Amino acid sequence: MKDLAPEAFFLPADDGVGVGAGGQRYCLYQPALGVCRGALVYVPPFAEEMNKSRRMAALLALELARHGIASLRIDLHGCGDSSGDFADARWEGWRNDVGLANTWLEQRCGHRPALLGLRLGALLAVDYAANADPARAPQHLLLWQPVLDGATFLTQFLRLRMAGAMISATGAAENSTAALRTMLAAGQPLEVAGYELSPELALAIDGLKLAPLGRVRCALHWFDIGQPERALSPATDKALAALRERGVEVGMTRIDGPAFWASQEIATCPPLLEATAALAPRFATESADAL
Amino acid sequence: MQLESVKTILGDVLSLGPSARALTRDSALLGNIPELDSMAVVQLLAALEEHYGFTIEDDDISAHTFATVGSLTDFVTDKMAA
Repeated sequence: MKDLAPEAFFLPADDGVGVGAGGQRYCLYQPALGVCRGALVYVPPFAEEMNKSRRMAALLALELARHGIASLRIDLHGCGDSSGDFADARWEGWRNDVGLANTWLEQRCGHRPALLGLRLGALLAVDYAANADPARAPQHLLLWQPVLDGATFLTQFLRLRMAGAMISATGAAENSTAALRTMLAAGQPLEVAGYELSPELALAIDGLKLAPLGRVRCALHWFDIGQPERALSPATDKALAALRERGVEVGMTRIDGPAFWASQEIATCPPLLEATAALAPRFATESADAL
Repeated sequence: MQLESVKTILGDVLSLGPSARALTRDSALLGNIPELDSMAVVQLLAALEEHYGFTIEDDDISAHTFATVGSLTDFVTDKMAA
């Protein structure tokens, strides 16, 4: 098992995008077991979902390592053990962090990394790929239960504050998601569930949708996780159709399992790990052209 | 009619395990089930929206909605009829 120990380090971050996102990022590098055949960067989800899914991220890294894939997990700016407070985090800074992780991993193991994003991390991965230099952009994106609409996601996050007010029976009205959005639009930071959310970050998330960011040259491998025998949600059907209409290659894998990024107890979903690792041959042969 | 599926969703979201089956209409939720914190309320709303395919507005809900299994079930029934 010694061969499977991850390597923890701090990656220096330049503030190339001018949003005060310097300092360093906490990273975990998991080398491949045996011959390295490919690489993958894990892009974490938002706020508490990141913490809830750390166990699955660690298991993913081990599963991929056994399939010859090296991986890098990064705590984004203002998250986890990286520099900055959550209030300092900006969407452009996070996109820059994904690029930093991508470049580091490619240089380390000589393969162009695929990206795997969970929830809002999936939307971030897709946004990064859409804006990256086409010659260096990832060619495979793996999406675990992706957030399809930033506005819906923001509303659900703001509901945490509304629910808190409801439970303590104080001021539910002034904490309605509509009232909170008005405060953000006026430039006021908000504390939600212990996270200080900046108006800049909130508005960036608010304006993003996944489907328009799909690119023809970048294949999407989508994993939909939920209860057995459920139908795909109408929003998922719509996004799939929009992507395919534009010629984006999308594979859909449906997995029965718990919402491990949000469950009360830390949960895992072994079938998701197996199905993800089974895709390894698809992106494993991609050696970096530049190296 | 919705009681069983509401109980299933409650059990899944709150990780109640087998004890979810013992819930009845009269089982108290908010203030009685420690797992039901603000994060769980939000997940519960999202799970109900996804399962039933309706959208819940802020105005639709109050602490009363989450008072008992019965009040939550009635809320779902009303939303389905709307």
